[in-house]
Amino acid sequence: MIIHANVFIYLIALAAALILGLVLRLPLLPNKPIRHSWTISAVFPTAVLAVGFYAMVYELGYQGYIVALITGIITALFSKFILEKLVPVPQKDGEEESSHE
Amino acid sequence: MNEILGIAIAAVICWVNFVLIDTWMGLPEGPGVKGADVIGRSVQKRGGDLAGGFFQGNIVCSPDASAGTLLAAIGCYAIGIPEGGLIAAVLVYFGNRLCADPGYAGTTGALSITVIIFLTSFIGFKTEYFIVGMVIAILTIQGIYHPGASRLLGKIAHKMGRHTKLT
Repeated sequence: MIIHANVFIYLIALAAALILGLVLRLPLLPNKPIRHSWTISAVFPTAVLAVGFYAMVYELGYQGYIVALITGIITALFSKFILEKLVPVPQKDGEEESSHE
Repeated sequence: MNEILGIAIAAVICWVNFVLIDTWMGLPEGPGVKGADVIGRSVQKRGGDLAGGFFQGNIVCSPDASAGTLLAAIGCYAIGIPEGGLIAAVLVYFGNRLCADPGYAGTTGALSITVIIFLTSFIGFKTEYFIVGMVIAILTIQGIYHPGASRLLGKIAHKMGRHTKLT
């Protein structure tokens, strides 16, 4: 078994992203029905990205509570201001065709 | 644990994990992209189920729980538990968004198999069993007999209330 991370540190990254996401007025959950929603919310994808980004930083050799906190904060800012521009919601067929005209 | 037995059980766990998550997230309800529509209707023409065909088309066209399960297993093997699975979840999310998919199925699949790999490691399952198991699980859906697999997927979708309303 190869477990070499403190679960508590992941919780710090997750909580920091969640709280700052809510402060930045991201909704807590996506719109319903959730499985068809493209809304960027505090729980999904912000919290998931926070633990994933912390795992990347951890593997690069930067570890600890402060790193987790900073990763959470940066992830929340990334989700609020950059994510939508980086991976935009796809246009519907009609809109796509009209934009080509 | 015996290697062959471990792989067989891991294949069943992976199959249940990705089929249930993908069905729950609505893959059989409709095609996410045009390619999935073409595959679904082609499977239907060959005697399969349309909802099952959409399921098969959708997992070909974007990284859903199947890809999430496989990539998380590879991540856990290559990097460690749980970092590999968490990194895989992030990569699958971006892959999903690039493939016109909101990303719930892929990320949920990656995270759930990471938890499963972590828990089963206590009873002697190696991470590599899940990589081989997932390849076998995908083979049963995509590689042996499309119409038969689609009918089974259609029945599961019907039971879970996710059967397509399209004709």
